[in-house]
Amino acid sequence: MAYVFLFPDLGEGLTEGKLLQWYVQEGQLLQEGDLLAKVETDKVVADIPVPRAGRVLRLHGRPEEILLVGHPLVELETGDGTASAAASAPAPAVAAATEPVGGESGPGVVGNIEVATGPDVMPASGEGLAPVATTSDATGGGRVTASPVARRLAKDLGVDLSRLAGSGPQGRVMKADIQRAGQTAASPASASSVPAQVAAPAAGPRGGERTEPLSQLRKTVAARMVQSKFSAPHATTFEEVEVSRLVELRASQRERYEAQGLRLSYMPFICKAVATALRRHPKLNCRLDMERSQVTFHDFVHLGLAVDTPEGLLVPVIRDADTLSIRELALRIADLAERARTRQIRLDELRGGTFTITNYGAIAGIFGAPIINVPESAILGVGRLLDQPVVRQGAVVPGKVLPLSLAVDHRIIDGGDAARFLRELMDLLANPLAMLMD
Amino acid sequence: MPAMNLVQAIQSALDYKLGDDERVLVFGEDAGLEGGVFRVTQGLQEKYGERRVFDTPLAESVIMGAGLGMAVAGLRPVLEIQFCGFIYPAMNQLVTHVSRMRNRSRGAFTVPLVIRLPYGGGIQALELHSESMEAMLAHIPGLKVVIPSTPYDAKGLLISAIESEDPVLFMEPKKVYRAFRQEVPAEAYRIPLGKASVVQAGTRLTLVAYGAMMRVARQAVELAAKEGLSVELIDLRSIYPLDTETLLESVKKTGRLAVLHEGPTSFGVAAEIIARVNEEALYWLEAPPRRITGFDTIMPLPMGEQHYMPTPERVLYELIQLHNQAE
Amino acid sequence: MLTSYDPLKGKRLQILDESGRIVNHKHLPEWTDEALAEAYRLMLRARVADEKSLQFQRQKRIHTLPVNKGQEAAAVGSALALEASDWMVQSYRELGAVLQKGGTIRNHLLYFKGSEWGSVHPGLPRLLPLSVPIGSQITHAAGIGHAIRYQGGSEVVICYFGDGGTSQGDFHEGLNWAAVFKCPVIFFCTNNQYAISLNRRHQTASATLAQKAVAYGMPGIQVDGNDLLAVHAATRAAAEHARSGQGPVLIEAYTYRMGPHTTADDPSLYRPKEEEEEWAPRDPLIRLRLHLESRELWDSAREDECRAAAIAETDAAMREVDELHETSLDEIFAHQYSDRPAELRRQQAAYEAYLQWKEAR
Repeated sequence: MAYVFLFPDLGEGLTEGKLLQWYVQEGQLLQEGDLLAKVETDKVVADIPVPRAGRVLRLHGRPEEILLVGHPLVELETGDGTASAAASAPAPAVAAATEPVGGESGPGVVGNIEVATGPDVMPASGEGLAPVATTSDATGGGRVTASPVARRLAKDLGVDLSRLAGSGPQGRVMKADIQRAGQTAASPASASSVPAQVAAPAAGPRGGERTEPLSQLRKTVAARMVQSKFSAPHATTFEEVEVSRLVELRASQRERYEAQGLRLSYMPFICKAVATALRRHPKLNCRLDMERSQVTFHDFVHLGLAVDTPEGLLVPVIRDADTLSIRELALRIADLAERARTRQIRLDELRGGTFTITNYGAIAGIFGAPIINVPESAILGVGRLLDQPVVRQGAVVPGKVLPLSLAVDHRIIDGGDAARFLRELMDLLANPLAMLMD
Repeated sequence: MPAMNLVQAIQSALDYKLGDDERVLVFGEDAGLEGGVFRVTQGLQEKYGERRVFDTPLAESVIMGAGLGMAVAGLRPVLEIQFCGFIYPAMNQLVTHVSRMRNRSRGAFTVPLVIRLPYGGGIQALELHSESMEAMLAHIPGLKVVIPSTPYDAKGLLISAIESEDPVLFMEPKKVYRAFRQEVPAEAYRIPLGKASVVQAGTRLTLVAYGAMMRVARQAVELAAKEGLSVELIDLRSIYPLDTETLLESVKKTGRLAVLHEGPTSFGVAAEIIARVNEEALYWLEAPPRRITGFDTIMPLPMGEQHYMPTPERVLYELIQLHNQAE
Repeated sequence: MLTSYDPLKGKRLQILDESGRIVNHKHLPEWTDEALAEAYRLMLRARVADEKSLQFQRQKRIHTLPVNKGQEAAAVGSALALEASDWMVQSYRELGAVLQKGGTIRNHLLYFKGSEWGSVHPGLPRLLPLSVPIGSQITHAAGIGHAIRYQGGSEVVICYFGDGGTSQGDFHEGLNWAAVFKCPVIFFCTNNQYAISLNRRHQTASATLAQKAVAYGMPGIQVDGNDLLAVHAATRAAAEHARSGQGPVLIEAYTYRMGPHTTADDPSLYRPKEEEEEWAPRDPLIRLRLHLESRELWDSAREDECRAAAIAETDAAMREVDELHETSLDEIFAHQYSDRPAELRRQQAAYEAYLQWKEAR
């Protein structure tokens, strides 16, 4: 293979030199280190040794001619199969650094300074010449500001920051804003940046496993459950209330509602009772802020109803439930539940609750220990309506028993408060007409 | 407009000031007759004479100390320390006198001195010829430190430095002394000290760099663009004072920051930039800022240099990480 | 003269001996009687100010400071040989020279109380501040001299440093530069025999410090540093040499540090009392006073009067400094640069916010 030896910078900061004489001829076989030529530079006259053994194929340059550093000086036939080393990196063993890396070498005494040889010229920037009209496209704003910890929380809760109006300085989105927004899981309509993905279950062989990624909804629910359970000390009270009169009342009204295309369940009555009881027991209708050491009592009741959907738990909120009639409640419940199941519910309908009711009894379950829906302070679990013997005036008679499980945040709600609320609620459920009269 | 490389641009600035102001002297080891080992001052002694442009004994401490004396006595010395690694013998004079004479005397004595210093690696040189210690120097109160990356900026900044009433360290990225040419006006113009420059606007990431790393940064930004990443590229130009305003404006726009420089990571220029960005733009950040630098190690000799000096590929990698981080 | 007293041959210039007798008429400065008495008065002022400063430090009105006692002739004699337009680059033990130049006792005390304003001498643009890093000022003097020569001026620079300073690299670099470029500098080495605790014989193996000049190609002369007239004569000769464009000169003033290095130093740890007693009669004030009295140019009444005046002057200066207020916050930021970079303004504002908070509590 032909090896091209370039005229080296002799370490004096050369750019050129004058060839005085050749010591070799074309066709001559050389050993490594044999002297090739005598060259004169600004400062010295030097002999150049050849860095490789080989036969001289071609000499570039005549005596008295000016040679440029980095240009071919001699071509050798090395015959060892190595590729022609034109302008490539020097063999590390050649400590004399006669071949510069990556281009010609400029002066500098030590080291290799790259020298541009091409015609390319960068355009001037013009700064400092004429008065510069500062085109600062300083938008700077328009982007959501939030602390890193708030952003993390938003990500965990699946909340889209850009949708929030921040309550902090200069519109900054605060943790509390995100917590409020993330009270319920984001629906795809509210567009968290990653749409909920449900992977089709892989058909695995019998005895194998199936792994699927968590949906955004699931992730959010999981995070919230953890957050709630491990920040609020839950204290749960179980009760049973005899609701024969409620059963009769509902039965008496059911036909009339169904004639209007409305299914009447027990939920409107339960909601009404809960809302009424909450107005009378504000302690269970509040929000605790441990960071600021304060508690906020709401002058309204926004009831969240846990809805079981194919993808998971959603909690649509009935706003101002305490102002709605049974009928209005029934309508609201039906509408929200339907749209929740079909994922047509809006983000704002999943937010802002002050108390939650979870009616697991509709499927199965008597008593439970539900998990409070942050940032609320209490949650009511309603179990399966049971036909059970009850004692009335000393006699055992068949009765209708509704099991209730009330979980409260014991940081703010004590046993007595919980019990009093429960007592109130039970009275309302046991005597529904009183609820409607008062 | 003439095309100049960095060496020629610096020479042009010196030529201008020597002609413009009798008080300007240019000196250093081999700076006179030979025109400097990098030929930056070539031809100046011939043009202006030995009184104005001269060679000094091999003695960095007195080069700095005498420079101080001349400045105090009313001249405008532009002294050269031949290589960055040789500023160390002059550090005592720099720190104990040059940087603090103004404060010490409540402004009665001032030091309008420029210290030219070829710095930086990537040239396969011996020990102490590839140092990048601008952070150490910028940490000294009372000094200004500027680092141009292009011939155009170099000329404008050097003229400003010589005209400044404060001591200015003018650090010249020797790797790119002759690596490319730019249109540079033959006449004089000034670029103010303390201002960064947004070299290329972008939307997703902010990349800050300076000196020889600007070329690496430009290449990396091009690579990033091919991958669909829009990077805003800022040439810092001035280490002290640092142009916080320009940096903050960019970070508030993109929310993601990477800083690129040679030399060690810890206690470096990137650390300072990130500290300031954290202080004043934390709430705009979408991901932790990234530093792309050398290591907290001694600069390797040539055979190990390729790991130490950031390359466009490495920068691209970091930019991609930065971009993906919040996802 | 500069070549007549070859330090390599052990020659040392003396004009006035310990008993105040003139032993060398050849180089006797041409002074009027008045001028001579004035010189003594200045030395006495410097001595008194120095003694009182030590007292003030013990009273905690100023902080640790160097003691000048014994070096008055070296400082005053050399300073008197200069013109008002000449430059003075000091180390930190030349109170007498600074006073001769026009500096004040007030500034001296203010500096050691801890204010930068002590370095600011209105109307004295050619008196540099104290230099703490030993010997570093030698290179500054070379540079100033270089500038004078460049500008074609006729001023000279006097640069003070001690025997310890001659071991520093900057001594070598500065003298070398000045000689190469023929800078008009008088390198005045006050050899007081001690660099804190290190005796001169351990500082260098050279027999004298003056002979180091030979290596740099400049004249060097050793003088009796306790002899005001010899110091003056040598400095005068050196100034002429430098002013005429012949380059720098090294003068070694052979004297003794009669007091401690600073008010926080205890010489008994490293030098014998016998030595101090041996040097006591060579006190520069004693011999000059003896000389003046022998010519009836001085007496004890004048001595008392002069001393009392100096005490009063120094006391008044201290009282003035006592009243001065602390350095303000703004001052701390104001003199770093010719402008005030944004970051400095930000730091100052942040600190002011803290002060306001503190104030309101």
